[in-house]
Amino acid sequence: MIYLDNSATTRTLDAAAEAAAKYMRQDFFNPSAAYSPAVEAERAVNAARSRLASMIHAAPEEIIYTSGGTESNNTAIFGALKARRGTGRIIVGATEHPSVYSAIMTLKGPYNVTEARVDSTGTQDVNSLMSALSNDVAFVSIMHVNNETGAINDIPSIYKAVKQRAPGAIMHVDGVQGFLKVPFDARYCDMYSISGHKFHAPKGVGALYIKRGVRFAGGQIGGGQERNLRSGTTNTPGIMGMEAAIEYYQANLDEIRRKLMQMKLRLAKNLSFIRDAYINGPEPSLGAPHILNVSFLGVRGEVLLHALEEKGIYVSTGSACSAHKKGKNRILNAMGVVGNRQEGAIRFSICPFNTEDEMDITADVIEEQLAFLRRFKRR
Amino acid sequence: MEHVLLIRYDEIHLKGLNRPFFERKLINSIKCALSGLDADVKKEQGRIYVYGVSEENTEEAVDRLTRVFGIHSISPAVGVDKDWPTIVSAAKDIMERAAANSKKATFKCFCRRSDKGFFMNSEQINRELGHEMLEAFPQLSVDIREPDIKLCVEIREMAFIYAEEIMGAGGMPTGTAGLATLLISGGIDSPVAGYMMARRGLELTAVHFYSYPYTSERARDKVVELARIVSKYAGHIKLHLVPFTEIQLAIYEKCPPKETTVLMRRLMMKIAEKWAEKDGSRALITGEALGQVASQTLESLCVTNDAVSMPVFRPLIGFDKNDIVAIAKKINTFETSILPYEDCCTVFVPQHPVTKPELAKLRESEAMVDFSEMIEKAMEDTETLDIA
Repeated sequence: MIYLDNSATTRTLDAAAEAAAKYMRQDFFNPSAAYSPAVEAERAVNAARSRLASMIHAAPEEIIYTSGGTESNNTAIFGALKARRGTGRIIVGATEHPSVYSAIMTLKGPYNVTEARVDSTGTQDVNSLMSALSNDVAFVSIMHVNNETGAINDIPSIYKAVKQRAPGAIMHVDGVQGFLKVPFDARYCDMYSISGHKFHAPKGVGALYIKRGVRFAGGQIGGGQERNLRSGTTNTPGIMGMEAAIEYYQANLDEIRRKLMQMKLRLAKNLSFIRDAYINGPEPSLGAPHILNVSFLGVRGEVLLHALEEKGIYVSTGSACSAHKKGKNRILNAMGVVGNRQEGAIRFSICPFNTEDEMDITADVIEEQLAFLRRFKRR
Repeated sequence: MEHVLLIRYDEIHLKGLNRPFFERKLINSIKCALSGLDADVKKEQGRIYVYGVSEENTEEAVDRLTRVFGIHSISPAVGVDKDWPTIVSAAKDIMERAAANSKKATFKCFCRRSDKGFFMNSEQINRELGHEMLEAFPQLSVDIREPDIKLCVEIREMAFIYAEEIMGAGGMPTGTAGLATLLISGGIDSPVAGYMMARRGLELTAVHFYSYPYTSERARDKVVELARIVSKYAGHIKLHLVPFTEIQLAIYEKCPPKETTVLMRRLMMKIAEKWAEKDGSRALITGEALGQVASQTLESLCVTNDAVSMPVFRPLIGFDKNDIVAIAKKINTFETSILPYEDCCTVFVPQHPVTKPELAKLRESEAMVDFSEMIEKAMEDTETLDIA
């Protein structure tokens, strides 16, 4: 099997699964309880919180744990706007993930929503965003790395512009795809979302960074966990599993990033020899090191996906979350990638456990499958 | 006091000497439908009685019975001793529930007395019971033409009392009409067609064609799920999943583009007929509706029909799409049918399919390729599932 759908989810790291199992079977105590094994568990969670915070140069008390990316994104938006009260304008990137985009669209009415354009590489057009900024902007949400194209947005410049032109606005950054893969400094945002299963932690755990001083009304209400900002029994297996995954990345950070980029460039180069194949998104060396989006003209992405599946290679068309939705791809539309080019788009997303060999095999199999599939295009 | 379900049946009344056969089949279906609910099913005087189902299971039992073909209607009743004060008190309980939510309601009493030994006749019972109800429930008044509540009493070996009549699925008991083979796609129409024919007493087998990698595994799961929903009505279904890619690609490469859809339909019919023969089934069923798409014009249907010698039932032929959707919603296949997974009929649709194919020409086009080996192979590689 060659698994190239790591932006959908990753295989849980053995060390992460073991850590999670340990906190299910031995150290299963509720960290909110009063006896000493529970206190131990609480200490472990707080140590994990410190490491996570350090990865984005934040303080531990600026991190709350959540159930994953969707919750982090949703809570960031609704929690911040609830605390802020009033109305105003919201600016959202045109290529945001549905957990940001659709959440913000539900606020149309009470708020004015402006979509910030991206350029043809899927990167946020900073000028267009700047011109949309004004005093009445309440909230801005721009992702760090796009999940379909790997386009990296210039978050520091955007943050500076936001603070300059709309000082009252809160800026949220969806870091689900970018965290650990692309360097990030929490100085350049007010809120930042993380999802564990995108970097070999178990599913069902994530985190939200909230800068000190940013007013935030919180998410779930109940027992007062996570500084009363997100109630619910602490998910120790998830958090400690995620801790193990972060520890792994931290220990090998530069090497992982280098290796990912090397593999991606190799795959891109291999595919460049295929007739009528076009890269969607930024020039490969300028994008995130783990995502490559390519259109193969003359075949539908879904058909190529199934043909590759038969050869044991797993990829995706668009993001997995939207694979079930019929119709056009919003992200590629926003970039002006339409028609045949959109229909034939495939996303490859790699992880540190892929190999260079796999990049070669994948390109070979695609070439061989295309020779067959392109004979039978729709007339 | 006993909880009883009274079941009335439909067209079986029209049968003459065959009637016991139909009744046996119906009782069998009822027993199957009620399995696990301790039901004791008895036939008496043109009715079926179900004893033994507890009060808390009654709703579940009625729900299951509404999916049994051959049932006209169902009434959950209580059976009590033929003792007047007992009858009155049971009737009050039932009326209490029936009139619970209304400040004002009209009613009538309707008695049938099969046991002529009972000391009052039907007229007297209606009058006396009506009187008791008026005394007990001041919000009630009598309306014998269009009552809100019809309080029924039947004096038989016991006295049965009920106020509710729930419509059944109608039709003929499953298995009384034989076995036929449904061509099932992932769409809205074919499951409805299967349902309609099962309602006329047919048992079903089904054939589905898939075109991996052009269709996904989810499209297959969807068809299995649709067959499962239809089987709730039609009983056990043998489902054949036939790989169709090779044939489709051969048509695509070698036959005139305009004719691909009709040719594909012909080959599907041929393979379905082969499976039907193997299954011992005697007809094919399709979800075609006249004029719905290019392959369902009269001319196209003639060409498709020509591919097989078995009778082809098209129960939806005169239906509008809206009518079909309404039935799909009623039988719960709609939500599954509209899941957006491509099925093999839509993979290679030509832009301008022929709408008035000529049989002679189509036969000629089909003869351009020798499909016999491909058909054999598709039959061999078919996966058969038992859906219950």
